[in-house]
Amino acid sequence: MDWTKQIGRYIIVMVLQVLLFNQLQLWGVCHPYIYILCLLMMPITLPHSVDMLIGAAVGIVMDVFCNSLGIHTAACILLMFIRPYLLGGILNDKDRLNEQITLQVLGMEAFLKYVVTLVLIHHLTVFMLAAWSLTHIGFVLAETLVSSLITILIIFGYNTLRDR
Amino acid sequence: MQNLLKILLRYSNFLVFIALEVAAFMLISLNSAYPRSSILSTANDFVAWQNAQISEVKGYFSLRSQNEQLALENAALRNQICSMDSAQNRELIHYEHAKVVQMTTDELHNYLTINRGSRDGIMRGQGIRNEDGVVGIVRTVGRNYSVVMPIINTQANLSCRFAKNDYLGTLKWDGKDHRFAQLTDVSSHMVVNTGDTIVTSGLSPVFPEGIPVGIVENSVLKEGDSYFTIRVRLHTNFKRLKYVEIVQNAHQQELEELQHGLD
Repeated sequence: MDWTKQIGRYIIVMVLQVLLFNQLQLWGVCHPYIYILCLLMMPITLPHSVDMLIGAAVGIVMDVFCNSLGIHTAACILLMFIRPYLLGGILNDKDRLNEQITLQVLGMEAFLKYVVTLVLIHHLTVFMLAAWSLTHIGFVLAETLVSSLITILIIFGYNTLRDR
Repeated sequence: MQNLLKILLRYSNFLVFIALEVAAFMLISLNSAYPRSSILSTANDFVAWQNAQISEVKGYFSLRSQNEQLALENAALRNQICSMDSAQNRELIHYEHAKVVQMTTDELHNYLTINRGSRDGIMRGQGIRNEDGVVGIVRTVGRNYSVVMPIINTQANLSCRFAKNDYLGTLKWDGKDHRFAQLTDVSSHMVVNTGDTIVTSGLSPVFPEGIPVGIVENSVLKEGDSYFTIRVRLHTNFKRLKYVEIVQNAHQQELEELQHGLD
């Protein structure tokens, strides 16, 4: 794995997240967390537990910027935990697990399943933990759907532009 | 022993997952609603500095309205000087001004970061107001920046009273609209009219008495209920909050110690 590239992408994505997407407060329900792009597209070459530690580190940095200590950490660890199982399930072929995770390599259907599932799980976890009760469940679901849609579009946009 | 090791190794990923999640949830519960740590929150110097830069850039887009606001504020202050009463509690209270460097208004647990910290004498629990009315209470203090819990936070509670008859109530926020909060604990025998003014009660040392909070938008008394459901239009426009004042009560610590001593 090309580490400089991964770290470079992480920094760019975090700058965009903090300077642009955290400033968006559209309609009160739009909080896209595009920073998970760098976690989603990280190839699965490291041991699973190291992957989860990276998730925790990425999450805790995001938490500092959101004053939500622990929430993004928990969501990112969950995301990194599910990732290899999900990808294994989608690909049905253990040999392909070590490939690059991009739209071009995985193909439209597999990539779509992978990104949509993980983004929804991550966003739902973040918003549920932030609400910390079921009183606002309607609001939380609306927030999850709208924000996930934006995040998914951004991740697809990034992949389409990259493949050109 | 070997079997145990084998099992541990086999499920090591799952165990790491559980351990990490437990740690994350401990962080969440330690910080529930408000960060306790000034390093791991926006009171952190670097994060707040970055937020200050963003707010600097954003500031250019609202220069005109800011100017108008400042002019209005100047006028109001001049009026205040003229009609200043020499009540002794004025001397106890000192106002420190601060700039809002970052704020959320659309979440359930909103917060704002201001550019004053322990270096400027800010302490946890001090009140924040602006020229329109009450803003919130300081919750986390860093060296140069602090995080404030505004009244538009579902965890916030503010003791208020009706300006017309000093009747008490508690102001809460339901998480829906940053322009409105709810006044609770007002019993049904009170006469509540639309347009009644709500001010701070002065019962806690956080805010002196009579700082404007909002006006009654509407009030509902459901059949069988002994308390009103009152919707209060807040004076403070949180979407446009730029400058605030920190209320520093010289006797705050002493009063709080006394009150805690009673519990």
